[in-house]
Amino acid sequence: MTWWQALIAAGAVPGRGGKGDEPEGADHADLVEGTELQAHPVGPAQIPAAVSFLNGIERWSVVAYDGVTQVVSAVVAAAVRRRDKHGVPHTTAERSRAFAIAPLESMSPALRAILEQSGADVEPMDGALAGQPARYLEQVESTVRRVRAHLERELAEACIDKLGAAEWLVLDGLLSRSPAVARHPRALGVIKSHGAQFLEGRGLERALTLPAGYRTSVFAVRGGHTRTEVYSWYLRLWPWEGNDLFYGLLRIEARAHPDTVARASELSGWLFAERAPLATPAARWDRLLYPLHHVEEYLKALAPRDIRSQRASRLPRTGT
Amino acid sequence: MIARPDANPIGRVVATELKPSTPHQFHFWTATETSIGIGAIVKVVDDRTVYAVVTEGFAYSDLATPLHDVVGAEGDPTRAADAPTARQQIRYWTAAVLRQTPEEPLQPVPLGQVFLADDADVAQALRMDGFLYSATPTAIPVGLYTSAGRDAPVYLDADFLLGPEAAHLNISGVSGLATKTSAVEFLLASIFAHFPAHKGRVAAVCFNVKGPDLCFLDQPGDLSDEDRHRYQRLGVPSTPFERVRLYAPLKADGVNLNTLRTHPDLVGDVEPLTWGLQEVVDYAEVLLNRDDIDAKADAFIDFLRDRVLGRTFDDGFGTTHRVQTFADLDRLFRSIFDGLEITAGGRSDTWRTHHIATMRKVRNRLLNISTRCKGLVTDDGPSSDLPWQEFEDRSVYVIDIANVDPLGQDLVFARVVSKLREQLERRELGVDAVVVFVDELNKYAPGDGPETYVKKMLLDISERGRYLGLVLFGAEQFRSQVHRRVVGNAGTQLFGRMDMDELATPGYQVLTPATKSKLATLPIGELMVRHPHFTQPIFVRFPKPPVLRGRDGVERFPPAADVPFEDAVVRQLVRLDRRVRPNQVKDLIADREQDDVRRALAAVRRTRPDDVLAYFRKLLGARVAAASGVPREHHAVPPLNPISDEPY
Repeated sequence: MTWWQALIAAGAVPGRGGKGDEPEGADHADLVEGTELQAHPVGPAQIPAAVSFLNGIERWSVVAYDGVTQVVSAVVAAAVRRRDKHGVPHTTAERSRAFAIAPLESMSPALRAILEQSGADVEPMDGALAGQPARYLEQVESTVRRVRAHLERELAEACIDKLGAAEWLVLDGLLSRSPAVARHPRALGVIKSHGAQFLEGRGLERALTLPAGYRTSVFAVRGGHTRTEVYSWYLRLWPWEGNDLFYGLLRIEARAHPDTVARASELSGWLFAERAPLATPAARWDRLLYPLHHVEEYLKALAPRDIRSQRASRLPRTGT
Repeated sequence: MIARPDANPIGRVVATELKPSTPHQFHFWTATETSIGIGAIVKVVDDRTVYAVVTEGFAYSDLATPLHDVVGAEGDPTRAADAPTARQQIRYWTAAVLRQTPEEPLQPVPLGQVFLADDADVAQALRMDGFLYSATPTAIPVGLYTSAGRDAPVYLDADFLLGPEAAHLNISGVSGLATKTSAVEFLLASIFAHFPAHKGRVAAVCFNVKGPDLCFLDQPGDLSDEDRHRYQRLGVPSTPFERVRLYAPLKADGVNLNTLRTHPDLVGDVEPLTWGLQEVVDYAEVLLNRDDIDAKADAFIDFLRDRVLGRTFDDGFGTTHRVQTFADLDRLFRSIFDGLEITAGGRSDTWRTHHIATMRKVRNRLLNISTRCKGLVTDDGPSSDLPWQEFEDRSVYVIDIANVDPLGQDLVFARVVSKLREQLERRELGVDAVVVFVDELNKYAPGDGPETYVKKMLLDISERGRYLGLVLFGAEQFRSQVHRRVVGNAGTQLFGRMDMDELATPGYQVLTPATKSKLATLPIGELMVRHPHFTQPIFVRFPKPPVLRGRDGVERFPPAADVPFEDAVVRQLVRLDRRVRPNQVKDLIADREQDDVRRALAAVRRTRPDDVLAYFRKLLGARVAAASGVPREHHAVPPLNPISDEPY
């Protein structure tokens, strides 16, 4: 028996995992349901008849070098797909933006002139980073994410204006980025990354060891990178035992309203039902709802082929 | 600038490195809800137009492994349907190219939009435009292309169906669905309606080899409105054949017809088919297969045919013979054997250079036929035959041999086909082309087994008949078990519902699994067609034949029981002359030998005099009282035991 087998035999929960989400700054949270954070079983699945799902993608690639200055081509896209009565999603809205990322002031005059005169949509970068390629690319990535978040927020705001009377909007990521969306009574944010920590102590342990089919008590989230107060809770889709603490764990955001607390179990039951079909082959299928995965796949199919994924092999691809 | 079709596209061509488009095949996807199916004809429009038929279909989802579905449903199949979102899925089709325009240079199918083919597209795709819209059209409707909600006529080229090009048709399918017979009946009706005038006159000879299948081609069947619509669409009259002549041998009694069409209302239209010694000897090869015949027997048969039959002949033992019937032949043989035994004292075993054993063998085989096929082969001489020089245009000649001994069936088939060939060669048949329909090719032209005369004859028609206008329409259950040259020479091939075991044989390897599945479940009235102009098999629907099916026929017209000898004679004479009174005939033949009556009847049938009764009376001669106690010489050939002590 190995030492860890001995630990498990003595009562430790088996696990499997490695480095998880990048840690973010701790946000402040106030419990709004009960006096102590508890685990609650999800309610029966009551799936709304009309639901739209919003998700986005990003692609970027260094396409040219001006000395060591890297010029990047990027594209971000987001789409809303409404699920029909047969469960088949159909696109109702989509937006995309293709743009260049370049430190214009660091570029040689001739190349800069060509770029500027090309009519390309250019997102400027701080020229000071151009001489540090690794940090520069981190900044590029951050820029692309920011643009994507902006695009998704715009699309979400446009979408809720047209949302049907009983229609819900489920978006991938933070609900609290847009005040209008964050206050909408039928909008939910589904967060898969748990770098930001809202709980501590006994509450944190209960949240991270939630059994599958349970949710935590609702808490209010404010501060940090969020701009609008929302109510939030954790929901476990799949048993974490044998995996890692975040396995199958979602954090749900909804408007900060007493009604959210009252309906948290019902909404959790609905989202719990959305775990099928599995969002495979996505790596984080345990936390990715299939309809959101579906939107992502739709956007990937439309994305330009000339911007490769960063980790793609540089060898020519063949099917033979 | 390529003209785009008005209709909405139903799919789009896709090609990957693993599954690229080629000049002969491509892949496309459609919406999940689509009217496309296996056998549908589609059109790709891009910088070139490509017509193709769907040969395979796939459906799959983004499910990476079936295990994920199990996990998603937590192992409970009933929960799998509860998933609120339907998995992304695809309908992915493979299509085989029928035609490209322009045809040169031949290039891979472009990645264009896919449209359903309309009527004009179907004509283009199947290269029917060449013979459908020409100055001298040769199009024969074979059915309707009905995939994807369409209703487009499909035509065969008469030059390739009836010659002089490919010619011949073969149809395969499981038994019991009436598809094969129905298809041939419909196709004959279609040929009669559309056979082009510039190609001359056409007739059909059908061998009815089982039950009442082809006995009611002149009687109307029940057609549904859908069938009538199909007839209208195909331009074929939905009426039974106007000119049908049915021939059937007599039964052993020599007067009742050996057919299921003996209902009193219909039996009058049935012509007796009876042959005598001359007709049999001409086709002795049919009766004497290679297993037990040799050059010596051949030589003796030739001797009989050239020197004996129909001539005055001295047997060398003091007796003169004139051999015209089997009974005459038997007398000759007995005379020879007695002569060798008595006159030569048993010291000689040869007669006119022919060994006695050879003669005994030939005697056995020839005379045996008159016993086994009594009714078809008569002892009496005169024969009743098909009108070999007076075949009529658009007529069907049905020869009912369903109840005849297999040896007799072979004889009928061999003689009829040989005569057809002979008359066509001389251009004396009365028509320019004859379709010969033979069912049960598994039996008559098997891929293995002995080389019979009938098989050789079928091979001969298949390989050389088209030059003469002699066209074989063959049908069988198992195509793989028919002689490959017989099916291989059929320019047009039809397939009804097929047995899966049959589809697993090498002959069907060119078909996709989906096409095989469709073939294995084809409904009645649907066929897969291969024709020289079609580069891929096409599925068509044909209407129910406009005639009474055999099974329905015997229900509507139940066969009559055999009538007594006297009544049968009356019936035949009345058919020839309605003035004939039954009582007169019965009085005339009372106390007469039946053989005498049969001979007289046969002569009347052959002569067809104006006054039938008077002629019949004259042939019978003066009435004489039967001589009691004196047995009449029995003319019938005594049955011979095929397993005798003789060496042959």
